[in-house]
Amino acid sequence: MAFIDRTARSLLLTELLSGMALTFKAMFKPKVTLNYPYEKGPLSPRFRGEHALRRYPNGEERCIACKLCEAICPAQAITIEAEPREDGSRRTTRYDIDMTKCIYCGFCQEACPVDAIVEGPNFEFATETREELYYNKQKLLENGDRWEAQLAANIAADAPYR
Amino acid sequence: MDFWSVYAWPTILIVLSILAIVVPIILSVAYLTLAERKIMGAMQLRQGPMVVGPFGLLQPIADGVKLMAKETIVPSGANRVVFIVAPMLTFFLALVAWAVIPFDDGWVLADINVGILYLFAISSLGVYGIVMAGWASNSRYAFLGGLRSAAQMVSYEVSIGFIIITVLLCVGSLNLSDIVRAQEDLWFFIPLFPMFVIFFVSTVAETNRLPFDLPEGESELAGGFMVEYSAMTYALFFLGEYANMILMSGMTTVLFLGGWLPPFDFAPFTWIPGVVWFALKVAACLFVFIWIRATFPRYRYDQLMRLGWKVFLPLSLLWIVVTAGALIAFDWLPE
Amino acid sequence: MPKLTIDGIEIEVEPGTSVLQACERLGIEIPRFCFHDRLSVPANCRMCLVELERSPKPIASCANPATDGMVIHTDSELTKKARKGVMEFLLINHPLDCPICDQGGECDLQDQAVAYGLDHSRYQENKRAVKEKYLGPLIKTFMTRCIHCTRCIRFANEIAGVEELGATGRGEHMEIGTYIESAITSELSGNLIDVCPVGALTSKPYAFAARPWELKRTDSIDVMDAVGSSIRIDSRGGEVMRVLPRLHEDVNEEWISDKTRFACDGLKRQRLDRPYVRKDGRLQPATWPEAFAAVADRLSGLKGEEIAAIAGDLADAEGLMALKDLMASLGSPNLDCRQDGAKIGEGPRSGYIFNTGIAGIESADAILLVGTNPRWEAPMVNARIRKRWLLGGQIGALKVGVVGPDVDLTYRKEHLGAGPRTLESIAQGKNAFADVLKAAEHPMVIVGMGALTRSDGAAVLAMARSISETYGAVKEGWNGFNVLHTAAGRVGALDLGFMPGEGGRDLPGILDGAQSGAVKLVWLYGADEFDVSQLGPDADNGAFVVYQGHHGDRAAHRADVILPGAAYTEKNATYVNTEGRVQRARMAVFPPGDAREDWRIIRAFSETIGRKLPYDSLTQVRNRLAEVNPVFGTLDRLPEEGLGDFGEAGKVGSAGFVSPVDNFYMTDPISRASITMAKCMDEIVGRASAAAE
Repeated sequence: MAFIDRTARSLLLTELLSGMALTFKAMFKPKVTLNYPYEKGPLSPRFRGEHALRRYPNGEERCIACKLCEAICPAQAITIEAEPREDGSRRTTRYDIDMTKCIYCGFCQEACPVDAIVEGPNFEFATETREELYYNKQKLLENGDRWEAQLAANIAADAPYR
Repeated sequence: MDFWSVYAWPTILIVLSILAIVVPIILSVAYLTLAERKIMGAMQLRQGPMVVGPFGLLQPIADGVKLMAKETIVPSGANRVVFIVAPMLTFFLALVAWAVIPFDDGWVLADINVGILYLFAISSLGVYGIVMAGWASNSRYAFLGGLRSAAQMVSYEVSIGFIIITVLLCVGSLNLSDIVRAQEDLWFFIPLFPMFVIFFVSTVAETNRLPFDLPEGESELAGGFMVEYSAMTYALFFLGEYANMILMSGMTTVLFLGGWLPPFDFAPFTWIPGVVWFALKVAACLFVFIWIRATFPRYRYDQLMRLGWKVFLPLSLLWIVVTAGALIAFDWLPE
Repeated sequence: MPKLTIDGIEIEVEPGTSVLQACERLGIEIPRFCFHDRLSVPANCRMCLVELERSPKPIASCANPATDGMVIHTDSELTKKARKGVMEFLLINHPLDCPICDQGGECDLQDQAVAYGLDHSRYQENKRAVKEKYLGPLIKTFMTRCIHCTRCIRFANEIAGVEELGATGRGEHMEIGTYIESAITSELSGNLIDVCPVGALTSKPYAFAARPWELKRTDSIDVMDAVGSSIRIDSRGGEVMRVLPRLHEDVNEEWISDKTRFACDGLKRQRLDRPYVRKDGRLQPATWPEAFAAVADRLSGLKGEEIAAIAGDLADAEGLMALKDLMASLGSPNLDCRQDGAKIGEGPRSGYIFNTGIAGIESADAILLVGTNPRWEAPMVNARIRKRWLLGGQIGALKVGVVGPDVDLTYRKEHLGAGPRTLESIAQGKNAFADVLKAAEHPMVIVGMGALTRSDGAAVLAMARSISETYGAVKEGWNGFNVLHTAAGRVGALDLGFMPGEGGRDLPGILDGAQSGAVKLVWLYGADEFDVSQLGPDADNGAFVVYQGHHGDRAAHRADVILPGAAYTEKNATYVNTEGRVQRARMAVFPPGDAREDWRIIRAFSETIGRKLPYDSLTQVRNRLAEVNPVFGTLDRLPEEGLGDFGEAGKVGSAGFVSPVDNFYMTDPISRASITMAKCMDEIVGRASAAAE
């Protein structure tokens, strides 16, 4: 009986037809597509997008050149050089992130003791040349200035879980 | 004025009628790609192309412009001539077969008596384009794709041949228009239903469509015989593949679905011109092509060969005997 | 021999061993801050507390001597609790600024807080803030981080011998400082940075420059003086970031001088990074083949006697060997390595090395310093003499007599006189110090370059030898005759016989020849320490000068062709220190630009003139070295030789000895190019001389 059943099923292509029925039904279901450039999905406050270097409200850059982000970066995308600034404080003279190397793991922002380097909500930073993806300190600080409101809000939103 | 009436006008007329067939086919190919993306999108809960033109209607044109604007790259180790000729051949063969397809009663470019043999021969030649491409690319992936394609097409052509014989037994003519007319009472897909299914699956295999797209084998061969192709050469393959799909759908329509005949021989069905019925039937077949693609995963190669040789071949052989027996036993043989 | 039990293991130790040292003997790590092997024991950090059975409270293991029957637990709950408590107290006022602290990553407090401390702080109160102190151009202070271990005070007082650091105030108000704002005037002050267990004292030139985990460590040898201290070169990329001492009990213990430590920024400045050829009176950049062609051009047709070579103070043995072989193949006997004109090198090896060895100083009981200021010429030797002097009470007082400049050597000494006349009187037994030497069991005579570079140097050398021999400084198992060199490459050069050959000219001879036209080409191998103007104003009115070296220093300005060589951090090189100890410097970074290892330059040049030297690899050069002098087959070993016959008795002059090092911070091309050393000179030497006036 089982043999007949199995043979009948395979000769009558029931499995194939049930599969096709499923896809056919799916055709009439509501679509989940987001029309991306015009519609955007929600982002978690923990989203790890483009990097930014933040400043304190008084305009002083946060980064203290401790190099922990450089040390922890698994892709070795961060290069930092530091020396005493004129007022004697420890500051970077160079803070480069090679965005082509970066794997967006977020270890840098985890390692940062002063919340200076953060991965912001921006993920739309495609460029036409590779060179534009070698971010320097100035670019990162500009990012920080541009996104500061949202960065601060994200950090505040995530603070209870840290 | 002998020249005009004997040579010029007929030539111009032939060229015009060829254009009247080819241009709509190429347009259909273009919109078939869009339809495929839209239907597959719908089946996968997506929208498909939506950006170029309203509902993405201009997408095929954008794709065409893009492919034409790109650079054709010929690999340094490739055989240049064969490499360039291969896609041309594929495309040419996909178009040339249309000469014998009857779109309506009498709407056929070349109403030859061996139409079905011609069709069979041309569609069998299609493998050459792919084998040539696979060999000329001088690439392992392409070569494997070409090999697979050759084996696959040979395997399925055998059963297609037997199926055609079954149909011919019932018709008694090799002329495609006669085949259609023979179906005026009953479309062949009803009495020959198993043959219809086997034929349809075999055409899917013949056109290298999913789930039989092993020559391309995106996941393991990275594009198979097309791996080295780019821009217009690639586009020609693409056009050829889709034109072949339409051709195979046309063949299915002619052989099993009653060609231009309306489903029921009374009004309002008879008001609709036959060419529309033909187009609708072809469209339905194409929809199934796409539907299958959206539903099934790719076959493994040994499964593909097993299906061709160990299932379809014996089944179609058996059905020839059964059909022939029935025709003789009940004296249904056509005169 | 007390026997005690530590964590269930019984151990027998020397009397006087502390519990901490006994634990260490067993491989048990005891956390500590104030305890330091080479410093006195104050027991004020309390981090080393361990549980002692039948004791009401834990004991400070560093200060408690091991006694018979002690039962110690280093892993018990009580010990752990004590350590946690101490750590918590230490961290009350220690700021949480590890991210901006240069000590971060190599900080004792950081490590031990992780290993033995709590994982959180219970203190909400404000932390103590302390004003920074000024300790000179080398040491940066963050006194807020200080945990009052007093290691720095003890180092300054005990090892460096400058009593300039101290603590003021008590309890929370205690502050370490120099009482008055002033730079530390010690040539060993850099070691304060190493000694400090936290980030309170850090290196000023290295401030914020790099993190320890970024650095590549290369174990090497120092060439700033002839001691050949063991150093560790920390580099990042192609840059030497800092130099740290490496433990070598027989040479530098674990200290190095400030010049060794801080002159490394001179390696980045004034470097010769490509060949130059003088055209139309100006040095123009050139390629190696052009430079070689220029030398070969000039060389063609010259007779051997018309060619000369002078080796500098930083010359490595491999380069010297290659140059010597090149000169031999050119037929030139005119070689000299004694830029200062010291009258040494003839005769046996014991006549020009520090026979006793630096570690040997510790067994001496009388030292006669002749024409030397060891504090500036060889700070590590001076530190060793001071160490011996401090031991005075325990193994008998050390008596030090000085003939030569009367300077502060950080220990008590007797200034006997300024010049050779005094030495003569000692030799004749007329001076009181003669009796001291005679009475001493292990007397030492240390002759400095200040006594040997004079025209009567050979006579002074002979006199020193006769003093050593007559007063028992040379006997079975003890050789108390010592020459203290100032140039790192000198002993190696003398060992290789880089000296005038048969009928060859020595340095004054070469200079005379250059002026008279008898010497037409002079190859200077890093030689900058003589009066270059004596080579003649230019190639037409003097010698054609080929300068091979790494810095654009004095001689490079006069050179007609410059061949850029490698500095000591950039080559695998052999140096022989003043003790005759063969040591190897290792390549930490690549030479800048087109510069190459020195022996390779000479080897390559030899090929262009068709006199190819028979070695292609470092191993082959070193085999050749051992062939010329078997001593190069040894490594880091002290030679044991009796005294031979050397020196030349004769009349001596009356002028006082002058130390060749008149400025500790600038003695060679590297330190002259160093900004840090320039700052030190302004701050420390400048101030000292201002005070003298």
